[in-house]
Amino acid sequence: MGKKFTFYPGCSSQGSGQHLDTSTRAVMAKLGYELEDIADWNCCGASVGELAAGHLPTAALSARNLAQAKEQGDQDVMTACAACYLNTHAVNEEIRDNEQTKNDLNEALGAAGKSYDGSLHVRHACEVLVNDVGMDAIKGAVSNSLSGLKVAGYVGCQTVRPFAGTERGGSYDEYDQPHFLDDFINATGAEAIDFENRTSCCGGSVSVMKPDQTLHLMHKILSEAQAKGADMIATPCPLCQTNVEMYQDKINKKYGTSFNIPVVFHTQLLAVAFGLDATKDAALNQNIIPADKLKAKAK
Amino acid sequence: MNAISPNPTQKYDLSFARWVRDNIDGGERMNMCMQCGVCSGSCPLSDQMDLGPRKIFQMVRAGMKEAVLKSNSFYQCVSCYNCVVRCPRQVPVKYILHGLGRLAVQEGYQPKSNVENARFADAFWWSVTTFGKTDERLVTAKYYFSGGLMNGIKLGLGNLKTALGMIKTKRMHLGAPHKAKNRGELKAILAKAVEIQARHEGEA
Amino acid sequence: MADEKKIGVYLCSGCGIGDAINVSATETAATKQKASFCKSHSALCSEEGVNLIKGDIASGETNSVVIGACSGRVMTDKFQFDGTNVVRSNLREQVVWSHPAGDEDTQMMADDNVRMGVTQARLGNLPTALAEGEFSDTLLIVGGGYVGMTAALEAAKSGHQAILVERSDSLGGMIKDWTRVNPDDAPYREPQDNPVPGLIETVKNNAKITIMTNTTVAKTDGMPGRFVVELAKGGTSSVETVGAIIVATGWRPYDANKLGHLGYGVSPDVVTNVELEAMFAAGPVKRKSNGSAPKQVAFVQCAGSRDPAHLPYCSSVCCSQSIKNALRLIEADPDVMCTIIFDELRTPGTAEEFYRSAQEKGVVFVKGKVATVDGNLTVTYHDDLLGDDIPMAGLDMVVLATGMVPNSTNTEGAAIELNPEQAVYSHDDINPAAPIQVAGYKDGVVAPAVQVRTQNEVPDGAPILNLQYRQGPHIPILADGFSDSHYICFPYETRRTGIYTCGPVRRPMDMGEAGLDAAGAVLKGIQAIHNVRHGRSLHPRVGDLSYPKFGLSQCTKCRRCTVECPFGAIDEQADGYPTLNASRCRRCGTCMGACPVRTISFDNYSVDMINQMAASCEIPDEFSGKARILILACENDAYPALDMSGINRHTYSAFVRIIPVRCLGSVSLLNVSEALSKGYDGVVLMGCKSGDDYQCHFVKGSALAKERMGKVSETLKSMMLEPERVQSMEIAISDSARVGKIIDDFAANIVKIGLNPFKGF
Ligand code: SF4
Ligand code: SF4
Ligand code: SF4
Repeated sequence: MGKKFTFYPGCSSQGSGQHLDTSTRAVMAKLGYELEDIADWNCCGASVGELAAGHLPTAALSARNLAQAKEQGDQDVMTACAACYLNTHAVNEEIRDNEQTKNDLNEALGAAGKSYDGSLHVRHACEVLVNDVGMDAIKGAVSNSLSGLKVAGYVGCQTVRPFAGTERGGSYDEYDQPHFLDDFINATGAEAIDFENRTSCCGGSVSVMKPDQTLHLMHKILSEAQAKGADMIATPCPLCQTNVEMYQDKINKKYGTSFNIPVVFHTQLLAVAFGLDATKDAALNQNIIPADKLKAKAK
Repeated sequence: MNAISPNPTQKYDLSFARWVRDNIDGGERMNMCMQCGVCSGSCPLSDQMDLGPRKIFQMVRAGMKEAVLKSNSFYQCVSCYNCVVRCPRQVPVKYILHGLGRLAVQEGYQPKSNVENARFADAFWWSVTTFGKTDERLVTAKYYFSGGLMNGIKLGLGNLKTALGMIKTKRMHLGAPHKAKNRGELKAILAKAVEIQARHEGEA
Repeated sequence: MADEKKIGVYLCSGCGIGDAINVSATETAATKQKASFCKSHSALCSEEGVNLIKGDIASGETNSVVIGACSGRVMTDKFQFDGTNVVRSNLREQVVWSHPAGDEDTQMMADDNVRMGVTQARLGNLPTALAEGEFSDTLLIVGGGYVGMTAALEAAKSGHQAILVERSDSLGGMIKDWTRVNPDDAPYREPQDNPVPGLIETVKNNAKITIMTNTTVAKTDGMPGRFVVELAKGGTSSVETVGAIIVATGWRPYDANKLGHLGYGVSPDVVTNVELEAMFAAGPVKRKSNGSAPKQVAFVQCAGSRDPAHLPYCSSVCCSQSIKNALRLIEADPDVMCTIIFDELRTPGTAEEFYRSAQEKGVVFVKGKVATVDGNLTVTYHDDLLGDDIPMAGLDMVVLATGMVPNSTNTEGAAIELNPEQAVYSHDDINPAAPIQVAGYKDGVVAPAVQVRTQNEVPDGAPILNLQYRQGPHIPILADGFSDSHYICFPYETRRTGIYTCGPVRRPMDMGEAGLDAAGAVLKGIQAIHNVRHGRSLHPRVGDLSYPKFGLSQCTKCRRCTVECPFGAIDEQADGYPTLNASRCRRCGTCMGACPVRTISFDNYSVDMINQMAASCEIPDEFSGKARILILACENDAYPALDMSGINRHTYSAFVRIIPVRCLGSVSLLNVSEALSKGYDGVVLMGCKSGDDYQCHFVKGSALAKERMGKVSETLKSMMLEPERVQSMEIAISDSARVGKIIDDFAANIVKIGLNPFKGF
């Protein structure tokens, strides 16, 4: 092992998804991987950039990140954020497959004396865990079993869609009922419930604009988790984590429910199971609804 | 009005389908749609769309440009990509919807003030171009106030508890926004990209 | 048969027969039936078993063999002894495999089957062939278009001379001048060059092909192997003798003048697909109104086709043709916007690739039914997918995808006056006004509304071949003007033996299919040429040497045989007596079933034989409680279905006695009344489906049987018997799983009605 990745943290790493960033870095380090950040990374444009500025300017954002990554070496680019992965991977694909876009983007990059040829691989951290690290190594690193915890593995949308099943996306799982997250959960010794809503959309990308029109989506997800007796929900997506956690109050008000279900990242589970520090590595202090049962397991 | 597609005022526009094919990202595959409805059936928001994706594509073919561009559907999309991975004809549904949504705003079929997504997107883009990064707090605030002062205060107060939670867990950052370092470089790249895009639209 | 008949019966005890019945008891039954001897063997089909029979034949111990073993449908090669008549009694499939072992009724059934076999052997003889006179190897091909030329080449390649007759002044047909055609080669994505000009040259250079343009067929007489054909060219005519005839007269476009609601004739810029082909041939396409290049073009699919008011059928090629023409317009000018408005886009097989290719290249497809096209070229259509009426304005050209009408007659020639009897046959003998039922819908599924026929009774125009047949000059057609052939099971066949149709005159089809069709029809023609010269029957009793013989001394000149023969094989002599054109005959026996005085019979098949076979079964008396039901089962479908029922070990009542018949058409009413008077409690006729979607291998046989049985109730009434005792049933080859239940239900009903009071009379 001891492989090195160029790491793209993304905007949420400095905001709502700091605990994903912290726990990802801790888990990857524990597994023997080195992450080197893109030096002066910028936003990927998320899912609304296109609407504001159109396709090319949005793509130019990712192109700049990729150009920098290439300057830092040929190693694969890894990111833990679903939206960052989607945009960066998609732009990378387009540069490879579409001569016109490649030329246009290089013309834009040229305005800052940069260029990029599409030769890097952009990978999602979950795919790296499945394909490079492997489930055996993950199990091997578990020193602190989380047995007794029931966890709903909530994958969300953009982590798997639309690339998880494609060859260049690593072909590591399928779109509707992927199992990799349950595999992670079970590897920690916790029990993954059979969560049918694992890829139902939470509405995260428009929740700020139209909270009322997306509450029913989250209500459905939370209801199943609660009905099936989950102690907490685990997700790999920063938008899902914030969204599903943050809106429980509003949902309770609208639907007369009393949800108070912690929502953690899979990497927080892994960090605790690897025997790492609850705060420094797993960043459990950053969950608004505290994951007390997980904290109690931490060494 | 930025009349980039032909005959923006015509009710039925027979060349609309062709124009979408040639100019909207992913539009070249729209012709392959076989009207199975898997996209509409898969969409978690289709109950809130006035027209499902399937119907939109058929209306594009029928040349119903105005009716299509007045649809609210584009702004309901949450980018879940269900439609994209499930379409049996590999139509990149989501991409086409987003492209049409942008066209609708650009051509004035959708007054920006009515389109939350467009305002949010503007706020977002402002943050990106100004700081190189998204500052969630500032984007949200700017978005809230983009619908008017009173509206902003109302929305802000409604979300106060959430915001406090974020602040407490240090996930909302109160100081100066995070910034990319070489913002001049980024601005130059984006300006160029905008220029190239405009150039292509002029060609079409 | 000069020698005295020595009937040898051979029973097999293998395949479970010996375990289920007492074979020696059956032996006794056979000898009592006056067989010369009866032997049994544990495996008759083994070398030893076959040699046993061969030895007896060689030593002169037997000259007529009855084999009581498996069904006559299997082991035919083993149980074939040259020069010896062989009868098969079915003990395996229809007795021991479908009835309980060791049962009294099973034993009775086996015994009766062997009795019937002995009777059949006594009354039947090995047929001798009728094949006199000269025969020709030449094929006549009518129609010099793509299909006809392909047929001529195929005939020539097989070593036959071909006469290619074309009514116009040049070869090439409908699509001669079309510049591009639908793709027939992989990857099926682009329009292809028209192969016709090249084909014309190839045909012209082939020494085996005689091309006759400006020529029509004035008269056709004779029969397969020697049709005598009079060919008219200008004022002169010549006579040729040919062995078989291929009709490849193709199609013509539906008359667009009937499509005023679609704008034809209202605006010059509404054109048909065929007119558009001519426009392509003349150079870049221009609007007829002002000569400018069209920019917005709509193609209206199913213009007349699949419309009960016009052509009730799908013309099958117009979808691909519109795709082709849209692609060509875009190819010539990428700015042209082509919209294809379809109700159902029918692009079967590789045409689906063509369709996708057009989608990718920007042809817009919208699903809807076009209601009107007005003078401003506004196409108003109902968009099924939007549920709305859409007025599509701003077009500058509308192309109507008109359909194919078969050239079943020569519309350029004058119609021929038919006598009323012939008129029945000229078009079809199904009531032209009868609604067309849509078949194939399961119970509980609502089928589309029936379509009312719109065709007139007598076709317009001159007959293609002007057959000098008693049944009239036309090749019979089934529906919608297409020739009557079973286009799925027996393509190319017509109801005129030795005459085969191919290409769009048979059903709508594209060039790829039509080319294969031409080859298929030529092969049928060659088969005909080679079989009839030896007196062998053609499809479906291929190789049969028997043929109907007429006992003219008893003939009453009722002419039923000449009217009912499905193939027009029997003509009338000047004195009114029937005369057989042997090689036109398919040996179905319909004439035999039709003849009221039973004077038509075959060497190995007759009304009397069926009666005697039925009568040789032992009928238990009315106090036994054992009913007897005679089943006359068509050997094409019903009999195999009964065999398969046994193979699958389905059981059914042991009260039935089954006699295979060539076709239900060969069953005489006398067979039914005779059985009832002999004490049978019920009679069942099992045959193929009749009607528009008939499955009868002789086309009309089962329909005629149905009609005849309609009259049986009078007979029953005069015998004071219940009408339920006689029933005709449609049994398809796929009915093996349910035929047993049908029999049981019938038997139960008979027991309920009570046994036949005529028993013992
Ligand atoms: S899923 Fe694809 S093919 Fe089906 S209606 Fe939607 S876009 Fe068309
Ligand atoms: S990506 Fe958008 S349009 Fe497609 S299914 Fe998801 S929400 Fe609906
Ligand atoms: S009815 Fe049948 S058997 Fe009789 S002449 Fe016609 S084809 Fe031959």
